[in-house]
This record gives sequence, structure tokens and C-alpha cells, in this order.
Amino acid sequence: MADRKQTLRLGFEGHLRKVDVTLPATEATPWDADSKLEIVGTEVPRLDGHLKVSGRAKYTFDVALPGMLWAAVLRSPHPAARIESIDVSKAEGQPGVKAVLAVAKPGDTLRFAGQDVAAVAAERPEQARDALALIEVRYTPLPFVVDTEGAMRDKAPRVHEAPITERRTEGDEPGKAKAGGMQGNVRALPPNERGNVDKALRESDVVHEATYVTQVQTHSALETHGVLVRWDGDQSMTVWASTQGIFSVRDEMAEVFGLAPSKVRVITEYLGGGFGAKFGASAPGSRLGFIAGELSRLARAPVKLMCDRHEEHVCTGNRPDSRQAVALGGRRGKLHAIDVVAHGTAGIGTGAGVGRNAFSLYTRCPNARVRAHDVFTNGGPGTAMRAPGHPQGAFALELALDELAAKMGVDPLKLRLDHDEHPLRSMQLRQGAERFGWDELRKRSAQLRSRNTRVRKGVGVASSLWGDFGRANAAVATCSVLRDGTIELKNGVQDIGGGIPTVIAQVGAEVFARPLSTIRVRYGDSDYGPSVGSGGSTTTSSVTPAVRNACEQARVALQELAAKQLKVPAGEVRWDGDGTAHGGGGSITFGQLCKKIDGEAIVATATRPATYGHEPMAFPGSKFYQIAGAQFAEVEVDTWTGVVRATRVLAVHDCGRVMNPLTLRSQINGGVIQGTSYALMEERVLDGDLGRMLNPNLESYKILGARDVPEIEVMLTEVHTGANNTGAVGIGEPATVPTAAAIACAVYDALGVPVRSLPITPAKVLEALGMIPGRPA
Amino acid sequence: MSEPANRRGAPKGGLTRRGLFRGVGTATLLGGCVDRTSTTDPGGHAVVDDATAPAELGPDRVPVRFTLNGESVEAAVEPRTTLLDALRLDLDTTGPKLVCDRGSCSACLVLVDGLPRNSCMMLAHDVAGREVTTVEGLSKGDELSALQHAFVRHDALQCGFCTSGMLISCAALLRRRPKGEPLTATQVQDAIAGNLCRCGTYPHVVAAVLEVASGKTERAGA
Ligand code: FES
Ligand code: FES
Repeated sequence: MADRKQTLRLGFEGHLRKVDVTLPATEATPWDADSKLEIVGTEVPRLDGHLKVSGRAKYTFDVALPGMLWAAVLRSPHPAARIESIDVSKAEGQPGVKAVLAVAKPGDTLRFAGQDVAAVAAERPEQARDALALIEVRYTPLPFVVDTEGAMRDKAPRVHEAPITERRTEGDEPGKAKAGGMQGNVRALPPNERGNVDKALRESDVVHEATYVTQVQTHSALETHGVLVRWDGDQSMTVWASTQGIFSVRDEMAEVFGLAPSKVRVITEYLGGGFGAKFGASAPGSRLGFIAGELSRLARAPVKLMCDRHEEHVCTGNRPDSRQAVALGGRRGKLHAIDVVAHGTAGIGTGAGVGRNAFSLYTRCPNARVRAHDVFTNGGPGTAMRAPGHPQGAFALELALDELAAKMGVDPLKLRLDHDEHPLRSMQLRQGAERFGWDELRKRSAQLRSRNTRVRKGVGVASSLWGDFGRANAAVATCSVLRDGTIELKNGVQDIGGGIPTVIAQVGAEVFARPLSTIRVRYGDSDYGPSVGSGGSTTTSSVTPAVRNACEQARVALQELAAKQLKVPAGEVRWDGDGTAHGGGGSITFGQLCKKIDGEAIVATATRPATYGHEPMAFPGSKFYQIAGAQFAEVEVDTWTGVVRATRVLAVHDCGRVMNPLTLRSQINGGVIQGTSYALMEERVLDGDLGRMLNPNLESYKILGARDVPEIEVMLTEVHTGANNTGAVGIGEPATVPTAAAIACAVYDALGVPVRSLPITPAKVLEALGMIPGRPA
Repeated sequence: MSEPANRRGAPKGGLTRRGLFRGVGTATLLGGCVDRTSTTDPGGHAVVDDATAPAELGPDRVPVRFTLNGESVEAAVEPRTTLLDALRLDLDTTGPKLVCDRGSCSACLVLVDGLPRNSCMMLAHDVAGREVTTVEGLSKGDELSALQHAFVRHDALQCGFCTSGMLISCAALLRRRPKGEPLTATQVQDAIAGNLCRCGTYPHVVAAVLEVASGKTERAGA
């Protein structure tokens, strides 16, 4: 069959128009603005909710196999050291101990406190940990550096002797090019420039220059990283993994142990969060899959290795910090130049770029340049974390923009509207401002400032951009219509908490016009067919179109069966709202029809093709459809104590077609809450003298609790993209991009002075107000 | 982690909670820490039933008997074993989760004699003869409680890893509320102030509890 042309009504409120798209032959006609859907787009409570609220959902952490052993890992206490000798013999033969493994070898260099040294498997977790204490390791400590600025100095100890290549996962934003060379511990990332920034800054009549600093944040998923490995013979294995990428675990285990990928089965039925850090069988800073697999091989028993909270903080990834020197130029009331020079550390790893915010958001500014650098330090490696680079980039850019707006005497919202070319985001900014009460609230802030009140209020706004990175040919879905009338949908995707199985069921129920109770979704297992990782806001847009195609194909077969039964040509069969087929004056219910299926089931398997349409517009300079969002924040600041409370956030977002408003709101709340936590509380603290993390726990690594949550209002601006057949795009990342930036802008509005460093702690507020002396960063 | 001395029960080096417990010996620990008058302070210490608490326990496994979700259970555990580990490792009750292992997240929350307790901060032997309710015990068989239904309906869970503890805090709040008195959002927030949720479910948790408290719940799907 050849490709076919189809006219779709695409766009968003007030901007809908007919667009011709060319569809691959096997592709279902995309749902567009004219599609009337019954189940997709409604608030369906997640289908596995009853298992999660009754404690019956078994997470990787909960799975127990007969004869299973527990592993524990001895980790380097030194931020940099050479291993002179390692003796595991005393650990062998300890109570319950079944296998001991030296992971590092004499002569190996360890580069951060927390790196793998040795491991033990024992019958009980406490026995494994006890045995670790008997492993004797002699280290020669080496010079180290853990702070970003220190690492940039000429004489700083070198973290890596050789250039290192970038480690990327499905959690990263696609499309970055190769990095430049290394200078000391500094490695330049590919620069972006349009126009002539140096010239533009000279031409500007107002210039604002300042440095903005963000902290290292850890993902802190409540379920730590971990795997359970069972060898099934010596050429195949089953792995239960706390992962957001089942197939990335499969591939890594296959490679590490020299197995065919088809011989590695990976299961993740329930997953206690990931936020970007859980791809592959290893954690970013620990070879968990190798250790568990090798111990299991040695002990001839299944081995479970779960990190503890300390390990989770130090060796399973983090959001790199940043120091961004920003220069903005204003000319004749307009933004004329954006210049960002960023340095950040992902510890021993790569990926400290600051996102596309500065370069790709205010595209009407003719001159823009971003030069970012990775700075290597002796800390645990960073990795993708929910919108990698973006919250950092947004914070610096948006706060700097407000400071420039103040110097230029223009309203910050107007400055944004004047320079943002994205038609949808412009609408979001305008509608959001109205709903939020922007103008009145700005006036109120100014009054409180001029009255010099103890408690001030302020408001801020910041924008979000992300790409529609939904992947083609990555997820393969299977739809089986069984003789008992059950519709079984299979795909090996994992549910990170976004609720993808529920949305899959909704798509099936929609296509067949059947109740949700007749749909069974099988997921969380590599045996259910290839799928994508839960990263980059791609899950729903990669998986649901494949599911829909499989369902539509099964339905065609069912229609042929109905035609045979009704003795009419297939084209004359009509379906009604409960799945009954009509034709030639007769009818047959769905249940009756299924009984006529030849064999066990009608089975169809399908994927999604590449993106074939971009609406409402492709991102300037990019072929990707740009997901737009904006958030407005209100804060209350006590100028005597310096305490900042985020009181209200209005989150305005586009996520293509809204598949399930209930779970969607949950994800947006989550993005806002994590962003608020990042803005006001979270910070990994490394001790410069010891090179170790001082707060590797959850009481001094502060995470936002229920009493600190702002009132969150969600406003959705649906877009019919025509980019895939369900119209879904992602929301996981966009929802957290602008929150911290909007809060920082609101603090500036409240105080009249900026706090240019995250998290915005009471001390930093008092310092900004000149009430206490500044401390060296 | 990062070095063995920081591990639980490590025999040498820095002080850890369990290291300390082991060092002082269980008898001293029980004798020294126990508040023999019943306490309503959820952070307070356990009450030991003199009749069932042996004078000295361990260091090997010793049986402990208590009521778990309405059933009498027995487990042989070392004196250093936390209630959480006993539940998860010995009694196949994995609803309560191990997250921080030091009383700062409430993912391991259970009811002990009706009061919410962090089970990672109690020794299994401290619940001898007492009643322990985990999230599994909030429903009757397959029949979810009104609160659990409300959690599902309001999507008060995402990954669900904090959910067991959240439900225990909320169930305890609903139980201790004077009959007929409405709840406020602030009261719910206070009740779950110790429950960390990384996915950001707090607003939906508050909505679910307020709905149950208002008595307006439809028992959908029950
Ligand atoms: S695991 Fe018990 S409070 Fe965190
Ligand atoms: S739902 Fe994931 S931690 Fe609360």
C-alpha cells in the first residue's frame, strides 16, 4: 500500500486549520480537533491504583525469590585514591555469606567517595553489610577537588587523566553534538550562537551582567536503585530492576555477561520513581547489574542488590550544578543580546550543559550565544534529571531578564511576550497572566516594597520549552482480541508513576468502543515487546500510537469476521457505541462475535512511524515540534527571618492531546513541587576537606513536604499536533522546567533585590537584603 | 555506606544507631529506653509488655510474637532487627517501604496499638504482644477502605512508593478526629508533614482525605 494524504484539523484554540499530511499506509488516521473521543481524554483513575493503595504492588525492592541472597557494596571512603591492595578473604565464611567479589583491583584509581570497591552476597542484608567491614583495603589517598570553582583553577588536581566521552541515556535531551577539547578539568560543550553577540552588547543602551549559581540536586526517588538477578542456566537470566528503561537494562546485562539480548528477560512491574537516573543495569556511579549478576553466578543463587539512601545520594546520579555568567543587552526597549557562559559539574561525569532556554526561548532577540562547560570534580557522576539542564538555564535566564526589565523600566511579562515567537506560549502567557491577576499582583508587590513591610509578596513568570521527542519504531505493541471478549494489550514499557498502562487501556477501549473493564494491559516485562524508556517525555507519544495501530489492525480483522457473520462486504459493517457490529439489517454483539474467532485470538502487532506533521509550528531552528508552557508563581518573604514560602503557582501547559486529565494533573503537580523544592530547599553539600557528602540522607537533604506546597492551579492548552495518531506529547519534563525560575523572579519582585543563587535559603535572602554579611560561595 | 564503619551494625568505627544498640546490649537498651507508661507521642518509645519481654535477648535470633493485621504472628529475629525488616524480610509484608532507614520519610509507617510509628525506628522485639497494622491491614480482604478508594479516585499516588505510609498517616488522622468534626486542609497537611513524596502527590492526598472526612464519598467500585 502506498502512503496516503489526509486532511486533518490541527492547531490550538483560536488557531485551528486544515492541514494536509501524508500518512504511511499502515498508519491509523490521527485523532485531530474534530475527533470526538469517549474514553481518551477523560479522567480515568489509574488501573493499578488498588494494588498500590493496598500494599500488594510488588516493587523490585519487594520481590523475594526462594534462596535469594542480599548484596551489599563496599564503597570508597576517599574522593580520590589508588588501591594498593584488597583482601576479601576475611569476609568469606562469615555467617550467611555466600559470595564475595573484589570489584576494584590493586592499581585502580578511585575518583569519588562512593565508588565501587568490593561486594558481598549473604542470606540477610545485615549479614552482607557486616561482612563488608572485614574486607581489608589499603588506599593511597590522592589529591582531589570537589568544588566547581576550585576545579577550574590551573593548579587543581586533575580528575581524569584522559579525555572522556559523554555518557548519554534516554533521559537526555536528544540532538547534542560532540564536545570540544579538555583544558585541565574543563571541557567545552558545543557552543550555540546566532547574530553577533559581542557587537550587540556594545550597541546596547542597557546592559545587565551578573552570575547565577545553582546547586547539585539529587533525584532522590523513594525506591532506590537496585536489581535482582537470577541466572536461568548459564546462558540466560531474569532480572528484576528498578528501572525506567527495561530494554536498556537488558542490553547492558547482555553486553556485560556476553549473552544474547533475547536471553535476558527484564521485569519492572512497579517502579518507585526514577526522574532520569534509572537507565541501564548500572547506576551512573555504580556497576549494580554487574555486581549482582556476578555475585549470583558465584553463589549459584539469585542475588538482590538495592542501594541504601546514602548510596542513592552519592553514586546514582544527580542534577549538575551551574555557574552562569549572563550578560543581557537592551536596546530601544527591546532585548538585543543574550550571552551565557556556563560552568557546571557533573562530578566525574558529563552533562552539565544548561539547556536550550537561553538560546531557543526568546528567539526574537537577534543575538544570542551560549557557551557551556563541564567541569570535572571528584564527585559522584551527574546524569539526566527531569529536563536536564533546563531548570538551571531557566533560572539564570529568566531572573536576569527580570533584572534587565527593571533597568529598562519595562514589565517583565511584556518583555517576554515581545520576544517569544511561539504562538501558543504567547497565548499561554497572556491567558495565564489574566487568570493569575498579574498586573494587580505586581502593583501589590510594589506597594509592599515601598511601605517596607516585614512580610512581602511577589510574583514571577517563567517559560518552558521542550521538544516532542516521541520515538518512531521504538515501541512495538500487540493487541489480542480473545475469544472471551477480553482485549489484551501488550508492550514492554515500565510505569514510572505517570500511569502509562491506564492510558494504553484507554486507547484500546476507545478504538473498540468497549468498557475499560474488558481491557487487560500487560507491561513491565521485556517479554511483552520492545518499548522506550520513561525519559525525555516520550513514553506516551511513543507507546500510545503503536497501541492504537495494533488495535486498529485487530479491529479491521474483527470487522472482516463481522462481515462474514453478517454476510455483507466488510465496508458495510457499522459499529455502535458498545462494540456491536451492524450490517445488512442484522447485528452481532461484541461478545458473540469474539466467540466466532478462529483459534484463540485475533492478534495484531504494530509500531508508530516517524513524526509526519508539526503543529502549531516547529521550533525555530529545529525540526521538532516545541512543547510550550509557562508558570506564574507567587511568594511570601519574611524580611526579618529570610524565610520564603511559595504560596501559589499557576502552571499553563500544552501536552498535545490530553489523554487523561487526572494523571496529567498529577504529573504537573509533581513537576511544580519538585521545582519548588529545588528552588527553596534541596542542596547536596560536599565537604571540601573530606571530599564527601555531608547530607546523604533525607533529613538534612531537604525535600519539600506537604506543608510547603504552594496552591497549584493547572491550566491546559490542548494542541492537536497531527504528529502521531493519538496526538499525545509529553509533560514530565516541561512541567518542572520553569518553576524554580518563576519563584526566583517572584522573590526578586518581593524584595526588589535578586537572590542569584539556588536554593533560596533564609541566609541568602538576608544577605541579599544586606542584613547579614555575605559568605563566600 | 561509603565506608563500612557507617553501615548498620558495623562492629567498629563510628557510632550508628544499630551499632549503638548492639554495643549497649539489648537488655540495657530495653531497660534504658522504655517508657513504661503508654504514650500518645508518635515519636515516643515503645512500650514493652513485661510478661513477654525477656530480660536479655540475642545476639542470635529470638522469637517475637505480636498481632499483625489482626492475625497472631511469630518471627525469629535478632534483637537488632527493626520492625520494618522483620515485616519485610520475615513476614512477607512489603507494604511498608524502606526509604531513609532513619525516621525522616515515613514510608515505613505502621500503626502500633493504633498509633502511627516509623517501623524503621523500632526494634521488632519492641512490639511483642502488641497490635501492628500495616497498609495491608487497612482493607478487609479485597475490599478497600473508603480512604483507599478515595486515594485511587483522586490519583493520590503516582509511583506509589510513599503511598503505604501516606495512607497510615491519613487513616490515623481520620481515626483520631473527634466524631462529626470537619477536617481542614491544614490538618491533613500537618498529619502528612512527615511523609515524603518525591512524585508530588500531596495536593491529591489532601483532596482525598478531605473527601472522606466530609462523608461524601461514594464507594465507587467497592
Ligand atoms: S524508612 Fe522509616 S522513616 Fe524513612
Ligand atoms: S507517589 Fe512516588 S513518592 Fe509518592
